[in-house]
Amino acid sequence: MEKSEAQKWYERNGARIDVSAEKMRRFYERELENWKNIGDPLEYPDKIEIFYKYTYGGQSRFFRELRENKALFGSKCQKCGKVFCPPRADCNRCYEKTEWLRLSGEGTVVTCCSVHFTNSSFIKKIPFICALIRLDGTDFLMISNIEMDDISRAKPGMRVRAAFRDERDGAITDFYFEPCP
Amino acid sequence: MGKPMRKVAIVGGATTKMKARHVDKTYFELAFEAVKEALAHARIQKEDIESCVYGIYNDLFERQFMPDFFVHDYLGMGLKPGVRVTTGGATGGSAIREGFCQVASGLHDLVLVAGCEKCSDCFNYEVGKESPELLQVLRYAADMTWESPTGRTAATVFALPIVAHQELYGGQPTEEQMAKVSVKNHWHATKNPKAHSPMNLTVEKVLKSPMICYPFKFYDNCLYSEGAAALILASEQIAKEITDRPVWISGVGASLDYASMGNRYMDDPKGVAEFRSSIVAAKRAYEMAGIKNPRKEISFAELHDAFTGTEIMAYEDCGFCAKGEGGRLVDEGVVRLGGEMPVNPSGGLLGMGHPVGATGIMQTVEATLQLRDEAGERQVKNARRGMVQSIGAVGCAWTVAFVLERGE
Repeated sequence: MEKSEAQKWYERNGARIDVSAEKMRRFYERELENWKNIGDPLEYPDKIEIFYKYTYGGQSRFFRELRENKALFGSKCQKCGKVFCPPRADCNRCYEKTEWLRLSGEGTVVTCCSVHFTNSSFIKKIPFICALIRLDGTDFLMISNIEMDDISRAKPGMRVRAAFRDERDGAITDFYFEPCP
Repeated sequence: MGKPMRKVAIVGGATTKMKARHVDKTYFELAFEAVKEALAHARIQKEDIESCVYGIYNDLFERQFMPDFFVHDYLGMGLKPGVRVTTGGATGGSAIREGFCQVASGLHDLVLVAGCEKCSDCFNYEVGKESPELLQVLRYAADMTWESPTGRTAATVFALPIVAHQELYGGQPTEEQMAKVSVKNHWHATKNPKAHSPMNLTVEKVLKSPMICYPFKFYDNCLYSEGAAALILASEQIAKEITDRPVWISGVGASLDYASMGNRYMDDPKGVAEFRSSIVAAKRAYEMAGIKNPRKEISFAELHDAFTGTEIMAYEDCGFCAKGEGGRLVDEGVVRLGGEMPVNPSGGLLGMGHPVGATGIMQTVEATLQLRDEAGERQVKNARRGMVQSIGAVGCAWTVAFVLERGE
């Protein structure tokens, strides 16, 4: 069956495809049938779901540059000169404004690990690499994924570069890292 | 730094049995069970309680915003002050600290600190299991914009500092040393009737268990538990009236580090290879308690061993040994029951369980039992002074540390 646009978007962003009401209904039917005593514990199916249109606020340009120009931007404190990526509109050391700075997209792995079990959203993607990466020209670390054939070769000190997805919609999942050639 | 205006005693405490699933009880019924037993342990009535503090981590686990409100009701504490604390895995420690402040300041004489958590109501219908959905809840505890979409888990943000630590200190702690922590704590749990995971494991079995998040194998991770714990705190005057075995809280330290590891790195590149909040909180607790050499002056510790490697890093960050030498304490048997300084005689989170909001309270109840000589088979000989470390959030952002002393 053709996937809907919404479904594709959900998958790209690691969000969960909605569990079918059918599965919940079948579970509850079994629950209603399986009891011995009228006081036996009863487990009732439920879910919580909230929709948002959250603002990126002062970080918005990062996501627009990412989507429109396949570029990573950091932010530099106008006073102390420290460079943040993820960017911040305000320096938390000096309490001064920062200014935008285009980054090369290359960086160094400070620490990394392979993930073999995870939450409902990502369970179908295991195993994958999570790493803390210091992007060149920044003083900060970004947590991100490194995509590579042999994940056991991901190690601290490794040089990586940003790779951008063809379909980008202005989210952190629009890019990932890969080893520098 | 200021100092407490009054001494604060623990006069009673209890925990429920820790289990993967208490299908017969809701979160407020679990809290009730622990509170009822804690009141009996302190030999007081619920009417004697002046104020309540609740440690409940997470509204999504409980499927209820402001779950404390319903616990307060179920406990019959209507019209008394009640406040809920939530600071990730350190929720229990923070709740005790709040109760401590209420007594130390003179605001109240008898305070109930109760924690509960019900994580396995969460259920993934697609795979027919609780755990991925339970971890799904924790997904919302990561930075939603920058971190959560990477698929990182709680294990990931503790594995990253361990790998950074290994990189800095010649591969320490080793996977074998971490496995030894697992064997030790699961074995301690065999002596604890309330424990979730009592087991006689071997290093080989731990090392061969399935990889969860490198370097943590299955048995390097604690399990999420359903359960509750409660503690009764009293002023010195009340404590002396109601018990001849008070346990004094002589040191309290708390620290909240940056949420982003990038910020810690910006301070110092070593900041991602250690638990800075534990260093600060433990130091403060020792200062308050007048401790100069924790290794010599503390009889035992209950440390937050959500992962084996974090227990080893905690030895270092709580000042039991130098940096990079934590693994040796395990190798040399210092930290096992019967050793020079047992760590997690209760079984810890690995063996006894991790009922998140209740965990710090569970650890402190266990330390209290030790200092009252009520710990049964897991009793530490000559336990005079205990240390509790309650931590939480990304790579140990939160730490609350306590020093507890046996009353004379």
